[in-house]
Amino acid sequence: MILRLQMKLFPVISFVLFGGFVLAQKSEELIPKDAVTVFSINNISLLQKVSLDDLVKYDFMEEVQQELFDGSTSGKTIKESGIDFDQKLNVFYGRGETYEVSGFTFGIKDKKQLFEVFDDFEQVKSPYPGTEFYTSYFNNLIISGNSALLIRVEPNMNTVDEMTDSIWYARGNENPWYSEDSMDEGIESDEEILEEEIYEEMDDESKPESGYDFPSAEENPNEKNYYELRDSVQIVLQNQFLTALCEELLIKKMNLVKFDSRFAEQLTHTSEGIFYLDNSRNVQEARGLWYFQTMFPTLYKDMQEVYTGNVLMGDLLLNETSVEFKMEARYGEALGSIYQKMNDSKFDKNILKYINQNNTAYFTYNVNMREAYEQAYKVIMPILTDERNPQMSANVLTIELLNEFVNKDALFGTYKGSMFGTFNGVKKIKTTKIEFIYDENTFEYYEKEVDAEEDMPIFTLGFSTERSDIPEKVLKHLARLTSRFQNMGDYWVYEDAILEAAPLYMISKNGMFIFTNDEDLAKNHSNGYGSEALSAKQAKKAKKSGFMYGQIDWAKAIDGFPRDFFTEQENELIDAMRGKTGVMELTTSKTSKEKTNFDLVYNFGGNYDNSGKYLLDLLNSIYVISK
Amino acid sequence: MKLFYSFLLIFSFLGLTSCIEIIDDISLKNDGSGTLKYTINLSSSKVKINSILALDSLDGKKVPSIPEMEERIVSFKKKLSAKTGISNVTIESDFTNYIFKLQCDFTSVIALQNALKDVIEEESKEKNIPELDHNWLSWDGTKMTRSIPEITVKKTKEIKSEDIELMKQGNYTSITRFERPVEKFDNTAAVLSKNKMAVMIKTNPYALTQNSNILENSIYLSPIKN
Repeated sequence: MILRLQMKLFPVISFVLFGGFVLAQKSEELIPKDAVTVFSINNISLLQKVSLDDLVKYDFMEEVQQELFDGSTSGKTIKESGIDFDQKLNVFYGRGETYEVSGFTFGIKDKKQLFEVFDDFEQVKSPYPGTEFYTSYFNNLIISGNSALLIRVEPNMNTVDEMTDSIWYARGNENPWYSEDSMDEGIESDEEILEEEIYEEMDDESKPESGYDFPSAEENPNEKNYYELRDSVQIVLQNQFLTALCEELLIKKMNLVKFDSRFAEQLTHTSEGIFYLDNSRNVQEARGLWYFQTMFPTLYKDMQEVYTGNVLMGDLLLNETSVEFKMEARYGEALGSIYQKMNDSKFDKNILKYINQNNTAYFTYNVNMREAYEQAYKVIMPILTDERNPQMSANVLTIELLNEFVNKDALFGTYKGSMFGTFNGVKKIKTTKIEFIYDENTFEYYEKEVDAEEDMPIFTLGFSTERSDIPEKVLKHLARLTSRFQNMGDYWVYEDAILEAAPLYMISKNGMFIFTNDEDLAKNHSNGYGSEALSAKQAKKAKKSGFMYGQIDWAKAIDGFPRDFFTEQENELIDAMRGKTGVMELTTSKTSKEKTNFDLVYNFGGNYDNSGKYLLDLLNSIYVISK
Repeated sequence: MKLFYSFLLIFSFLGLTSCIEIIDDISLKNDGSGTLKYTINLSSSKVKINSILALDSLDGKKVPSIPEMEERIVSFKKKLSAKTGISNVTIESDFTNYIFKLQCDFTSVIALQNALKDVIEEESKEKNIPELDHNWLSWDGTKMTRSIPEITVKKTKEIKSEDIELMKQGNYTSITRFERPVEKFDNTAAVLSKNKMAVMIKTNPYALTQNSNILENSIYLSPIKN
């Protein structure tokens, strides 16, 4: 439990403790190449703005301190943890085909102090020259020079289960999951039935004379049961994987910095934090694709190539009144050619008419579906055609025939790819309820349907269309099928469509097809909001952004939601956020064949000492929720 | 009551105690037999209920599906029907407006209480629920005494404090009907029907948490005319 908490606290610690650029020993050189996701914190700037004394006042820090100091050194602070704040802290996670790896690397300033913190760890003989090795249950602490790697390697349970089953059956055992009782009842009870309860429920005649009947020791105590065997397999695999990883990292000196020059380059950035996610390796290791891998190995390999070079890299910048997250999505030529065609689209100004300047949140999305389809067809079809497999050949034929027969002008004319969405807070919507009406003479009662109001989040989703006649055809047909569908002139209404209680409105005008539960938009603004629409400045930002633009006013979003929409824990987070919220804006660059840039800026107001403290407030809120 | 208990459990974690309406209606004949009608009306929260039912789980707890709720209702009906002194059990479930109506005939109020207690205990994971020792109905031929089952009060008090405002919007209506006129009753909050054959008390779940005796009433009937 403690270990799990420690592991859970890795990211918390990572956000909080340390970092820093240092030219001597580099903690990042201990990041294994298996890491697929890395978040690296340069803490000099963060700590310049947040004092450690303030830091330790947070809820999550109390827990971290209790956990790390283990009670024996109560009264100490992170300052006394022996950690070198001049080095970076790198939090990493990776998932391979057979195991997962997680941990963090950091610098050491005072080893004695460090082991007062990590007092659960015991030193073992290190098989790797120049390193010290410490273990605590499943966690391993490896010290090399003045840097440390805290790492946990866990075999995938599928691998463990497969190997356990293999050994189990090879030993001549029966199916470990077979149970006559559960087979009889068809389902397995979640409740644990105690033997005492079975005894109490027995007829008197059935009860053994000696009272409680203990199970006989008929099983061979030297023979492991299934669970014991599985635990053994897990531990053996864990050691094997850790050994392989350590040999690569500590003997061959192969780390992520050497393995991926893009990561090495990203590390040179002077932002407060950097982010790295190798999506191509995520695709390779995606366990959900095992069928694809097994059935169509050639195709799988070719598709992997399409994903080659797909990596996300980002910088986190903390400013006095804003947090900025700059992200760059890089991809290979094949995928890049599809993205580039997809984003070669003219912005539809009609969209802007339907976004109210007071909306709590909105986004615009502008892609060219036709171009994207044609390019994807060019890139992917040759790969599919190369696969020598009857099932795939049939699929290829189907796609080719559809490509020939389907009216693409009509299809992509109906949905061109440009769309928008808005969230307009929570409003009272009209619904009905049943009231009981009492007769004064007898107090007999009867039911009467009356009008009522309930809170509902108001959403709008619309897309550009050149063929409004096609959705109109569908609507007319639906109206013939049910009276709940009605043409109201400027708009269509589908009664009780949302949660079987609220109406859904559809507007088909001005080259737009819009779904909304906003009665005001449907009834009063079916041609757009006019002067109430987005300001010219806001509209320009949306138009100038690449394929996507988004904005959220957190203050409105949070204040607008009624408390009973959330659980008690969620309300705790919201309370922590109240009065501290601002505007979050997402912009994107023009997409090239190589990359697309995303820029997420969180400008905030409220009572902050600085952005680092604000980030910690956020972190603390998240911690309180997950506690 | 059990149905209320089950729904209260569900809706307490959903924060939906807001607009719950309960009608607890007992018709008592001169011989002590009678009919119980118990109605739960959640129609004013149907948007919320539908949105929650669309989820698999909420706040770490599994959200029951409509078939699961139907199954529980059938099970409850079956168990109640099997109890001594209980007959003609019907449960109407309206999953559009979320209105649930239980009706059953009983041979005596003792039989009714025992049957409900047994079913609650059978359905509950808890054993030996002390609140079930409490008798909330008694009838001696001329005087009917009613209160609220302690188990209901206990569960109502467990509702989170932040839902208090919402609880004030709920309704709990207790009606007792007779075959002969009511002579007098103790509870000053109660009202007598114009035909003098029924007594009604209305409150809300919040008031119930503040004063569990709020629905307590002793009703005295006029003598039987020979």
